[in-house]
Amino acid sequence: MSRLRGATAIVGIGQTPYYKRGTSPDPELKLALRAIVAAAEDAGIDPRDIDGFISYASERNDAQKLMPALGTKEVRFASLAWIHGGGIPGALSIAASAIVAGQAETVVVYRAMAEASHQRLRVAVAQNDTAAQYLVNGLESPAQILALRSQRLLQAHGVPRSTMKAMAQAAYHHARNNPRAYGRNTVLDDETYENARLISEPYNLFDCSRENDAAVAVIVTSAERAKDLAQKPAYILSAPMGTLAGGGAVEENIRPFSCAGQLGVARRLWAESGYGPKDVDVAQVYQNMTGMGVGSLIDHGFCTVDTAGEFITFDNLIAPSGRLPVNTSGGDLAEGFVHGMGLVTEAVRQLRGTSCNQVPGARLSLMTGGPGDTMTSTALFGTAETL
Amino acid sequence: MEYEFEKRRITGGIGADDEYWRGLERGEFRLPRCAGCGRWMWPAHFRCGACGSWEMEWHRTVPKGTIYSWTRSWYAFERVKERAGDVPYVTALVEIEGAGGARVMGVLVGDETDLRVGAAVTGEILPPTEKAKGYPSIVWRLADASDAVPSPV
Repeated sequence: MSRLRGATAIVGIGQTPYYKRGTSPDPELKLALRAIVAAAEDAGIDPRDIDGFISYASERNDAQKLMPALGTKEVRFASLAWIHGGGIPGALSIAASAIVAGQAETVVVYRAMAEASHQRLRVAVAQNDTAAQYLVNGLESPAQILALRSQRLLQAHGVPRSTMKAMAQAAYHHARNNPRAYGRNTVLDDETYENARLISEPYNLFDCSRENDAAVAVIVTSAERAKDLAQKPAYILSAPMGTLAGGGAVEENIRPFSCAGQLGVARRLWAESGYGPKDVDVAQVYQNMTGMGVGSLIDHGFCTVDTAGEFITFDNLIAPSGRLPVNTSGGDLAEGFVHGMGLVTEAVRQLRGTSCNQVPGARLSLMTGGPGDTMTSTALFGTAETL
Repeated sequence: MEYEFEKRRITGGIGADDEYWRGLERGEFRLPRCAGCGRWMWPAHFRCGACGSWEMEWHRTVPKGTIYSWTRSWYAFERVKERAGDVPYVTALVEIEGAGGARVMGVLVGDETDLRVGAAVTGEILPPTEKAKGYPSIVWRLADASDAVPSPV
């Protein structure tokens, strides 16, 4: 068993409203501060006591910019998980590692985006690091590049397109009950989905995540300390980050092929946590694109390419009683998208029993990081009884 | 020889594929093998992770293969705006015959009727163009069924 299993917990969550991209009334740094302070208040701790700061991908609001406004007593640890949306649970793993190693006690993991302060999210996340092979051949956006993965999943592996539609419809269905959800007024019936404009085949508009201005933060601390704080702890059972041999920055030459590239981290997740797919009560699945969420469920072992069509159906994916309710806040597609960070807060809410689409008695809550990323991560959270 | 693409160099990714672009600009389709162990290595890298050699040999290769995957772009994305006038356009990822399964990207030209994963394609080399950001490029064309060699009876 991993030394990190259950050693730390998420004890506070905070987030700003989701604004239409480019319209936040506050600049990005102020959004980050608002989310961090809200997370500290939720946990019942003083923001000045936060001594560790961790984010991922192209986040620019680092500890040096935050500490004067937070009144930070001392920054003892700060780090960035490389890569893109693949790094979210990885950032939690860094937080847990720092706490277990005694380098920090109260760590915030956060992500903030305001396009007016920076640039278009889908451009910013690429960090000006896209290989010539893509750009020369008319490919630059994650929507286009990941379309290659999903097209292969559909055409070579025979996964039905109905799985993508089910992932989209479940997300929009859940968003209807979520007052925070940016897409809560959209009714995604079959006709609306089928007639949506194409973006990059096989993806249409509703297969793609949103881009919003917002910030989201969570506070991580030791399991020992978590017991004495304001909220029911969401223990981090496992949050592995990595890439198998044959993956990495290989310009679509990943071998063996896996749509989401999460076979390795999923294997470690189950081994480290001691649980398996059948034990999971609810899942927040990062969906830059629906087809990639389908790939995540396959890589995590919830189904195979052969059974995906039977398993990934609308009825199975919705709370409260589906076999595996996914993206119960609306997720990246329908709630809002701050590079996926909103999935972490929803995973925690499910364990607290405070989701807008609560799965009754949820004890094990999964949150998968960005699929199809050249490095990725995944996390399993549990209540005290799962330790 | 002075190469046009080097004046407009794209710096993202691994960046060990200069010889690929130089080859294309000379009208040659070349892919790399490790000089130490002979393993095909695509995309090119600076060191062979299998045997530790730092040398690559670039082999002239027939630009023929099958479509591993593809997408048709219906939106003029920011960083490839040069192709806005071509929307919708297809980019194919092509598994090259006899090059260790190397998958090489290129825009698909010509008839798209039989476009599917597994379809046979042949490549044509274009000189540097604005659409390709000043780089030479390979474009793929679905192999005409009538060009196929009939199987022996």
